[in-house]
Amino acid sequence: MISLYSLTAVGAVLFAIGVFGVLARRNVLTILMSIELIFNAAALNFAAFNRYLHPDGVWGQGAALFVIAIAAAEAVVGMALVLVMYRDFKTILAESLDILKG
Amino acid sequence: MTIQNAVFILLAFMTLVPAALVVTVKNVFHGALFLVLSLTGVAGLFAMIGADFLFVAQILVYAGDILILLLFVVLLSGSPKDWATRSVNEQWMPAIVVSAAFTALLAVLLKALPASPAVPSAAPTTSALGFLLLRDMLVPFEAVSLVLLASLVGAVHFSSKKGDR
Repeated sequence: MISLYSLTAVGAVLFAIGVFGVLARRNVLTILMSIELIFNAAALNFAAFNRYLHPDGVWGQGAALFVIAIAAAEAVVGMALVLVMYRDFKTILAESLDILKG
Repeated sequence: MTIQNAVFILLAFMTLVPAALVVTVKNVFHGALFLVLSLTGVAGLFAMIGADFLFVAQILVYAGDILILLLFVVLLSGSPKDWATRSVNEQWMPAIVVSAAFTALLAVLLKALPASPAVPSAAPTTSALGFLLLRDMLVPFEAVSLVLLASLVGAVHFSSKKGDR
């Protein structure tokens, strides 16, 4: 049986990769994809903790299902916003969103 | 090394290597394809820890739904001249430091977990999840359906023409 530590370590590394993508990438679409990676790290940890620490219930897996549903909703709205941004700014680089800058 | 460990290492690499490629490749189209490979690896990890319904839901939602949506948006908002420019901003070095610090911190914190608790063998979870969602978590379940409806309406609203908005 694989250990809980190695599963959560995979989740932690996945989360760190997602954080790097959100902080460092210029393309808005890649930032959205990195957010999906972070969501998946969280869902993986929910399922792993459910399996190892509370094996008689499925509450953790239920929470992971909610994470997946919210991720789908977020992707839909985010990509609609990306399309609007491309129509208005003709680019999808994050630093071009500076109309609130004084 | 048991076969289970070998499969786990394979799935971990299948999750983490494409994930690292998502945030490093310049071509966003390739990044989207790598993202789906990575999320399929997560689905495999779900299957390994006995979450069979999550495995199916993950593949249906990500490989079937979000991939198609992502590829459409990549193609519609595609400006290949953006792909030719630098793909990271000026803060990429601090970003690496922050994510490495996160990983180190989590690696230390996760040491406090119980070593490897004995668990009963996995049972099918679909019926248990159905009872959970429609009995114990009924209110959050309905709230999520409202959120999905709102995101649908919001997507149509945002992407309609300026005059119609």
